[in-house]
Parts: sequence; C-alpha cells; structure tokens
Amino acid sequence: MTPAPLNRLVAQLAKLPGIGEKTAQRLAFHLLRSPPEYALELSGAIQEVVAQVRLCPRCFSLAEGALCPLCTDARREDRVLCVVEGVADLLAIERTREFKGRYHVLHGVLSPLEGVGPDQLRIRELITRLGDSPVEEIIVATNPDVEGEATALYLMRLLKPMGVKVSRIAQGIPMGGDLEYADQATLARALQGRREL
Amino acid sequence: MRLLRLTVKDFRNLSEVEVEPSVHATIAVGQNGQGKTNLLEALYYLCTLKPLRAGRLQELVRFGAGQATVTGRFLLRGAERVISVQVQDGARSVFVDGKKAASLEEYFGGVAVVAFTPDDLHVVKGGPDGRRAFLDRAVFNRFPAYLKEGRAYARALKNRNKLLKDQAEPAYLAAYDEALAQAGARVWTRRRALMEELSGRAAAAFERIGRTADPATFRYVPHGLKLPPECPFGAADEGALSAHLLQRLGARLPRDGERGYTSVGPHADDVALELGGRSARDYASQGQQRAFVLAWKVAEIENLSAALGHLPLLLLDDVSSELDPERNAYLMAYLSHSGAQVVLTTTDGSLVRAAAGEDTAWLSVRGGAVRAEGS
Repeated sequence: MTPAPLNRLVAQLAKLPGIGEKTAQRLAFHLLRSPPEYALELSGAIQEVVAQVRLCPRCFSLAEGALCPLCTDARREDRVLCVVEGVADLLAIERTREFKGRYHVLHGVLSPLEGVGPDQLRIRELITRLGDSPVEEIIVATNPDVEGEATALYLMRLLKPMGVKVSRIAQGIPMGGDLEYADQATLARALQGRREL
Repeated sequence: MRLLRLTVKDFRNLSEVEVEPSVHATIAVGQNGQGKTNLLEALYYLCTLKPLRAGRLQELVRFGAGQATVTGRFLLRGAERVISVQVQDGARSVFVDGKKAASLEEYFGGVAVVAFTPDDLHVVKGGPDGRRAFLDRAVFNRFPAYLKEGRAYARALKNRNKLLKDQAEPAYLAAYDEALAQAGARVWTRRRALMEELSGRAAAAFERIGRTADPATFRYVPHGLKLPPECPFGAADEGALSAHLLQRLGARLPRDGERGYTSVGPHADDVALELGGRSARDYASQGQQRAFVLAWKVAEIENLSAALGHLPLLLLDDVSSELDPERNAYLMAYLSHSGAQVVLTTTDGSLVRAAAGEDTAWLSVRGGAVRAEGS
C-alpha cells in the first residue's frame, strides 16, 4: 500500500535499538513531512559518521583522524590509565572532570555465555600499550555486575605480574543519595567497603 | 499492609477481573481448571514478580491477548499506593502509582507475601532442587535484594560452566572462579541468615501439629565444603566463605572440568529436614511430611511479621484438600486468629469455613470469570 522507498526506510529505522515498527513508521512520516533539507542533512551526517569516525589506534575510543583528542592532549598524565567497558563509560568519567589520566576502551566485557572472550576485547592491545608507555597505575572501571567483576579480576591477574599498580573503582552509596532509598545490595557492599575515619 | 483492590486483565485465562478483598479472609471457590489458581498467581506475581508455576513469561498473557496487566491498590504504612505489573512480548514492566518504577526496591517497598500451594507439600519427598527453590522463595520474601543477588550467582555459574565446557584457558576460568565465589558467599550468608531466624520457629510450630514426641529439625546443608572446625559454616564471615569456595572450586577442578559442570556451591546445597534425627524424607509419614511444610510456612509468616512489624499477605491455593482434617483445622484456626489478610482458593467451601468469619469475601470462579457471592 505504501511506496516501496518508504517501506525500506521504515524497515531500516525499525532495526535501531529501542525502536519498534510503529515508532519507525512515525519517524519515517516525520521525515517525509519535514523540509527536504533536514532529511538530506540527516543522511549526510550518517554518512560522515561512517566515513570519518574511527577507533583511536591507541585507546580505542572514538577518533576523527589518527589519534583521539584524549591521546594527543599533552596536559593529561601518562602515568594513570583508566580501563572502561565502552565509550559511553569513558564519557561519563570525563564529565566528572576529576580524572586527568588516559583511557583504554575494552569494547565489552568477558562473557562466556555471549561468546565474548579475552581475544574479542582490546586486552592484547592494552598489554602492548603498557610495554611502551610509562603507566604506573591502572584503574579498572568496569561495571559492578558479574561480567564486569570477572573482567576486572582477569585484568588484575594479568597486569599485577607486570609490576603495575591495579585498582578497582569503589562501590557504594551514590552522592546525595539517601541511605533509606539505597537498594540493599548496594548498601551491603557499601558497609563491607567502609573506611575508618 | 493491606490489599484494597485487585484488578486483573488478560492474565492466563482471566480476561477481566476486579476483586475487592476482605480485610481478613477472601475465599475463591470453583472447580478445577476454572481459574482459581490463576487469580492467586496474578496476585503472587504482582507482589513478587515471580510466576508461581515455571514457564516462559509470555505464558502469563491470555491466549489471543497482547498484554497481561495486574494492578493492586495497597494500604502501606498508612498511605494508599497502586502497584502494577504488565507483561508484553515476554518482558515485564512495573509501575508505582502509574509511573514506571525506577527500581525494584521502590516497587516492592513494603509489600510482603507468603504463598502456600499443593506443590509445596511435595517438597519433603522431592529432590534438593525443589527444596532450594522453596528456601530461596522464603529468602527473597525476607530480603528483597536477594532477587538480584541470586540472579548474579546464577549468571556467574552459567558463565563458569560454559568456560568448563569450552575448556577455556586457566587465567580466564580463574577470573570467573573468583566472581562466582564472591556471588556464592553472598547467597550463603543470605540463606544462612534466614535459616537462623526460621529454624527455631519452624521446630516450635511442628511441635504443635506433628502429633509425635520426636523433635523436628530444619537445617541448611552446604555440600562439599571442608571448612576447618575452628571456623564452621555457621560462624564463617562472607569473606571466609568466599575464600573457601574459591579453594573448593580449585580442588574440584579436575573432575568438574571433565564433566563441564561446577559441583560445589550454593546451587548444590540442600535443606535437611529431620524427625528425631532421622531423615523425614525416608522415615516420616505423609501426614508428618506435610506438617513439616505447614510448620515452615507458619514460621515464615511469624518471622516476616516480626521482621517487618506487620503481617504479610497470605495466599493459599487449594491446600485444605491436601491436609488431613485435624491439620487443616489447625491451619484454619491459625489463619483466623492471626488476623492476617488471606486469600484462599478451594474446590469445596466447607473445607475452609473455619477460617471464614462475618467479614469474609466469598468469590466464585467459573470459566475465567470471578463473581462476588452472597453478601
């Protein structure tokens, strides 16, 4: 009933995460109704992203050109390296403006059930990187779930023998959060990880 | 807490049901296959987000319908709250007062329920997996965070078993050994904490209904541990349990590696039920075995009420027909004296009349429709 190009667009949009058939249809109609420039700009932006955004060959974050801005920034410390699961985690830590070191993005966690092993992650690249840079401490900032924890433990066993200090981000009550509303698993962890004043 | 109103839409065979339960007993009467248990399960699912019967989530949705919805209006600590769960496309969403709940803790906040079904009565005779599931339900009722913790352990276990089957490199396996040991120690401390609270109460309840001089014992039995005598299972802290599990995983690795299966940990444990020091499974009569389960449930109700400061909501699915008259009479008297809010189902109203009072809400269930009776 609807023209084939429209059907193709709906089918492509519906493949996006969180987008169902109905939403895809609504988006497609919206594009059709908008001024043609908008649709062209959107498709141009998509093409540019695909053509120009690459993984940084050093930290495997996103880069345009050779190295990413975080790797080339001379003001950042080479001695501390923060290992994260994905680019979104890197951005979250960057937003704190607390961390002045460099990053390494694993692009996933060790998950046997999903068929993701050490070879599927950027772990070998991390080891190689340590060989030729003056890193003294590695902060493992994977998520505190089973897979993130196992990945952190794997990295710790791998990196400790290389003579580098390995630390894990702390877990506990969120800032500004009420104890009353903290979930029990978090609260239990926070109690375990208590420190003397 | 009190349930003020229950609304069920397209849940199993119930297309549209609206129930105004009594403050005390609400009794649903109907023949088998009409939807009594489904009504009870809808309420249980609302309160725990776990189906009473195993199976895929999508099976909860009435055949031909798009989604199932169960909504309950509760009085919780003096405030009215509406909690609601929706199942669609094999996934569930939960709502508090019409808004998507931010966390399960927010969703559960104060709702507690104890269910008793005929399947529970076979727990003594059945295998250890049934007893673990039975125990875990009680642990979850007492410590809602256990939902997450139990799942984390199950996930770590599945991952490790996959690594064993794949004969993964030792360093990779070691990482999951440690993750499994941490998650396992947490499961142990939770189960142990519950058993400490419950076993005394259960033994006391059994004394009242067992009709035997032999004492009943309820004991958690961790499988395959070799803890030193100066640091037994009951006294070891979570760190020590985690370290010991890690060590046991290592010791059993040659055999487990061959079988592709982890043979030690909370998933291999059992609850020992003994009568006068002998296994209730082998030596207790059928009536006594049922008394074990009944005593456990009574203990669970008393324990929750002591821990929460109010009685949990009780759900009993056609239990009376499975108990002998004397034990059924005990249960009915217990329910009516406890003052708890109870929802019962039965095929025969006369069996549960002793639990009923002036204010009982009688419902009749027929072909997926629920109707208020009498008053």
